[in-house]
Amino acid sequence: MQRRLCFVLGKGGVGKSAVSAALGLAAARAGRRALLCEVAGSDRASALFGAGDVDHERPVELAPGLFGIAIDVDHSTERYLASQLRVRPLVELLVHSKAFHHFTAAAPGLAELVTLGAIWSLAVELRPGGERPVWDFVVVDCPATGHGVALLETASNIRALAAQGPISEQSERIEQVIKHPAATGVALVARPDELPVSEAVDAAAALRRRDLPVALAVMNAMTPQRFRDDEAGALTAASLGAGGASAAAAAAALAHLERQAVEAVHLEHLEHGTGLPVLQLPLLVRQEFDLDAVQDLADAAASGLRSLGQ
Amino acid sequence: MIDSALADRWIVVCCGAGGVGKTTVSAAVALGLAKLGHRAVVVTIDPARRLGSALGLDHLGDEPRRVSPESIDDAGLTVPGELWALQLDAKATFDRLVARNAPTPQDRERILENRIYRHLSGAVAGAQEYMAVERLHELVEDGRFERIVLDTPPSRNALDFLEAPERITRFIEGKALRLLTQPATGGNIAARALHMGGAAVLSVLERITGAQMLRDVADFLGAFDGMYDGFAERAGEVRELLRSDDAAFVVVTAPDPGPTEEALALAERLGKEAYPLQGVVLNRVHGAPPVGDPAPHELRAILADAGARHPDDLAARAAETLDELRALAQHDGQAREALTAALGSPLLGQVPALPDEPVDLHGLARVTAALRT
Repeated sequence: MQRRLCFVLGKGGVGKSAVSAALGLAAARAGRRALLCEVAGSDRASALFGAGDVDHERPVELAPGLFGIAIDVDHSTERYLASQLRVRPLVELLVHSKAFHHFTAAAPGLAELVTLGAIWSLAVELRPGGERPVWDFVVVDCPATGHGVALLETASNIRALAAQGPISEQSERIEQVIKHPAATGVALVARPDELPVSEAVDAAAALRRRDLPVALAVMNAMTPQRFRDDEAGALTAASLGAGGASAAAAAAALAHLERQAVEAVHLEHLEHGTGLPVLQLPLLVRQEFDLDAVQDLADAAASGLRSLGQ
Repeated sequence: MIDSALADRWIVVCCGAGGVGKTTVSAAVALGLAKLGHRAVVVTIDPARRLGSALGLDHLGDEPRRVSPESIDDAGLTVPGELWALQLDAKATFDRLVARNAPTPQDRERILENRIYRHLSGAVAGAQEYMAVERLHELVEDGRFERIVLDTPPSRNALDFLEAPERITRFIEGKALRLLTQPATGGNIAARALHMGGAAVLSVLERITGAQMLRDVADFLGAFDGMYDGFAERAGEVRELLRSDDAAFVVVTAPDPGPTEEALALAERLGKEAYPLQGVVLNRVHGAPPVGDPAPHELRAILADAGARHPDDLAARAAETLDELRALAQHDGQAREALTAALGSPLLGQVPALPDEPVDLHGLARVTAALRT
């Protein structure tokens, strides 16, 4: 996670937004200027910071050193056209033309390319006058697995469709950055259940086929290791022998132990299936998933990454 | 809910945010309908591998397969009807749709061979969502099934699913681009002026995309020429079917803020657009353990008697776990209150949190049992 650009991918419901926010916050606390990017109309990650109005014009500070921005397709398309055509009336001509909108609807992946292009330009942007980048860490909260993989594959797809021309050159420049393992890393997030884990395993293979640098797997919402197998006997006796709340506590402990065992299997599947180091993040039991929760998750991410040597 | 709200509906559509257990609930509903004696089929999008195996979906291909009576017996279930399942193959469905609508075999080949079409493979906005609806339409025409349950694809937004037929029709229509790619023939001054404007747009576009990509897209849209009516008619039929009393929509959600927000937006939208929404199912709800604090001495003593090495410590950890379980139950209870208050109506059904997501018929039957009451 020392790379500058990090894409966070995973099945719907695994907590990608929370993990993206935590990775961003952990980087910011380590003194890196961090940017959290949201795409496809999502605002879940920035909502965790209570920031109601993250816009697509300029980054908003979410926490000290951590900024947020929403990538909007229409806005980014206009910006992209402006950078390519340089003549304002031509840009106006296109964005107001029905034909152009039909073209973008029909050509697969154009919306994704524009999104990816906007992320790319944020990642390569340099500070005025200097050679240092504006952002030390750009973390992208991607759409659910299938759409997320499509987003990352889009530059290659467009190059296959448009053999030459500016759009093909643009795709090539984007590819050079997002395929460079020193610059970019993809984090695949799962939760300890069968389907999220097998999606992460499949996504790792799909991304590797495209030479995209998968760097890290994240197992989110892990039940803490609290009981040992050799405690099951005593707990079973207590769940049968005690009354009321004592029996309930013993039964809860047994269920917890069973869950530990189930999760250990999923964890092993994630580790072996992806061949990646796995960052384990704890299940946070609380009434609201709020800023406190993100901070706890960022603490867990920072110490987990340290022990993984990342 | 299955026995009352859904029993007489031909089609049940399960929708909701990603990760809430839509596939499991869809399969459980189909099992429930089969238990009522119907020949029921569930259209799954992407089942967990072991659930897919349990449903007999190990083989590729998107034809419905019957879950064998033997495996139902083995799971200890009584099912008077039939349970069938299929896994959606969006590309194969799209290919059939093209084949059905293409005026000539040459037109069909021209589309199937087109580079843009081949890159689509479900990637175009709404294609997978639409193909799920199209597959439903095929099963309705097939006529073999008394009950059809549709799981909906994971999308960025659960609402995408409803817009898919319109979007795909607009996309196939490609009127404006067709106007541009065909030479103007006569017409009035306005039409010629429009064409001139179009030519300017095209030449600007070409500066961005390169000539070849523009040509491919134009060719692709051109190939659909003459198929638009067929597509539009089909989309219209699907819309009508889904709005009729033969259909029922079930919104699935979990006790978390994100999915709940999506579920509410979806319910509102379904109501507004006159789709037959039957209600909301809350999945993975933690039940409340007995009230009261565990008696530390009692628990410690029993654990010590049973040979625990550190009974104090173990008792404390067990008590902590019970507290967490209570917190979870309280959280889920509050989420349920908030959901029903926002809906202004009771839930259609509720499924308890299970230790692991069901991946066999036996596990599925537990979900079905929760949904029958």
